[in-house]
Amino acid sequence: MATDAPSAVTTPVSADGQGGPRPQRTWEKVVRRSGRALIVAFMVMCLAFLLIRLTPGDPASAILGESATPESVALLKAQLGLDVDPLTQLRNYVVGITQGDLGTSTLTSMPVTEVVKTFLPVTLWLILVTVLMTIIISIPLALAIAVVRIPSLPYIFRTVTAIGLALPGFLVALLLLYQFGYVWAIAPIFGYDYNFPANLAYLWLPSVVNCIVLVPVLSRVLYSSLVDTLDEEFVETGIIRGVSGIRYFWFYVLRPSLAPTVVLLSYMMGVMVGSTVIIEFIFALPGIGRELVNAVLYRDYPVVQGIILVFGVLVVFLSLLGDIIASLLDPRVKLT
Amino acid sequence: MTLVNAGTADWFDLEGAPPPRMQAKRRKDGTLGLIVGIGMLIALLIMGLLVPMLSPYPADTSVGEPFLPPSGTFWFGTDGLGRDVFTRTFTAVYLDLGVALLGVLIPLTLGTIIGIGLAVTKSRAVNGIISTLIDAINAFPLLVLAIALIALLGPGLQSVIFALALTNWARYARLARTRAVVVNQQGYIEAAKTLGYSKSRTLFKHLVPNVSSETTAYGLSDMILVILLISGLSFLGLGAQPPTAEWGAMISEGRSQLQIAWWPVMFPGALLLWAGVAFSFIAEGISQRERDVKS
Repeated sequence: MATDAPSAVTTPVSADGQGGPRPQRTWEKVVRRSGRALIVAFMVMCLAFLLIRLTPGDPASAILGESATPESVALLKAQLGLDVDPLTQLRNYVVGITQGDLGTSTLTSMPVTEVVKTFLPVTLWLILVTVLMTIIISIPLALAIAVVRIPSLPYIFRTVTAIGLALPGFLVALLLLYQFGYVWAIAPIFGYDYNFPANLAYLWLPSVVNCIVLVPVLSRVLYSSLVDTLDEEFVETGIIRGVSGIRYFWFYVLRPSLAPTVVLLSYMMGVMVGSTVIIEFIFALPGIGRELVNAVLYRDYPVVQGIILVFGVLVVFLSLLGDIIASLLDPRVKLT
Repeated sequence: MTLVNAGTADWFDLEGAPPPRMQAKRRKDGTLGLIVGIGMLIALLIMGLLVPMLSPYPADTSVGEPFLPPSGTFWFGTDGLGRDVFTRTFTAVYLDLGVALLGVLIPLTLGTIIGIGLAVTKSRAVNGIISTLIDAINAFPLLVLAIALIALLGPGLQSVIFALALTNWARYARLARTRAVVVNQQGYIEAAKTLGYSKSRTLFKHLVPNVSSETTAYGLSDMILVILLISGLSFLGLGAQPPTAEWGAMISEGRSQLQIAWWPVMFPGALLLWAGVAFSFIAEGISQRERDVKS
């Protein structure tokens, strides 16, 4: 499962203090981690730049098709900034980004920044609603299964979530859209409202689909780290000292277990940024993922490049945020 | 992923270990998942082999009226072009699983080699550059990067495999690097060096097997994601192209007529889920057993 991936981010530190590195101060950790995120963001920028230049043949003729005249190809090349040597191109590109210029769509002549401004909020809303839903479902679920001592429950939980991991999101989306949208007609089958409370009517079903894919992953990781935490001495100490209620669940059980989950959640949000592409495509939401598919189909390279950059930077930012929150929740987490 | 204090774990275990009866049950449980998963996979592979051979219908041509419901003649009904859904669904088994296998094996091999190379190399510059490259590639959602690469390469299953090879290796490389650094500090590597074994012997007999067992385990669970990714891309029209019998493409074709006929969508979907669940159970079983060996 993808659950293995973030393990490189949180390295367990031996708390016995033997041979371990000097404990880092929080701000020091945050600054160092942010610095690394910046370097990665720069590499992400370079990759997005390279991706378009690696096209077999040349992008300008690919866009215009075979019937294009050499003059129009040369004109488009100049428009795309491809008529100068690669290093100058990279410089222009980086300078452009710092000035908020991501290029211009070859299809609609709209600046790419405008495209992003129009379509990104929809995607961000979708992610936000999904994450809130997932957290609201996963935490009580995992907590209940870890704390309630019914012997068969963990096995049922593992089996059901193992099946959940293999659920194809696009099939779930299709079936739910059909059932809720056509048969019961309680969800809109397309369209979007850009205003806040009204947009939830369009977002709840896609979020449920994302949730069905996310909850198994997240609750499994939370469950296994809860089980580990419940084995710890300090939990026993807490019980002996008579700690109970919210104080017991939050400080003794949940908070020490949340770090891996938060790191995973931020990683999964990145994965979800990808899967929203398919979800938006099915639900006809005017999000940036659907726009990416359109741009790919119409070979609108500047838009593809811009959206990929936004996706990459978004993921870098999300994983930075996840790591920082994890280290604030649990001082044992080391930021690398 | 565990944050358990390693220093106290061994003596804490004396009190905290579950009674032997429960341990035995857990071991059996991991094996059960493994058996069920492998059984499901074998059943799928056999059906995928037999159905195209024994079926009276070709996969790619019309054999009856469009949208005939499942019946004795057409077990899974017919699709919008009058093709037999049963034959098509099972013809897709080897295509989907084969592409997924390539989509895992190529990145697995590349990633393991690069990851071990990074852990072994002495050059800080190479290490720094490739590590940042790995981080940058991993920063992109796999699906997004695959879509972008397919934009350049043109739609098709070859492009999907190529895109997976170019992107997914970075995940394996990160895992292999982390693992190789840990393995390198183990006692047996030290022992092999002390015994004067050659570098290549230490590398291939000790380091590589211990790292690749880890990346292979990850590869098994990655199969689920890659199967879903391939069918997802085909669903978007970027992978397998319409006449091809491929689950994602079939679901995409049947999608617009879901009100008329559920079978051209549901049967390929069910098999897609079946394949995913098989690998999920196998991966689950293996990780359960490993956990039991460790505890």
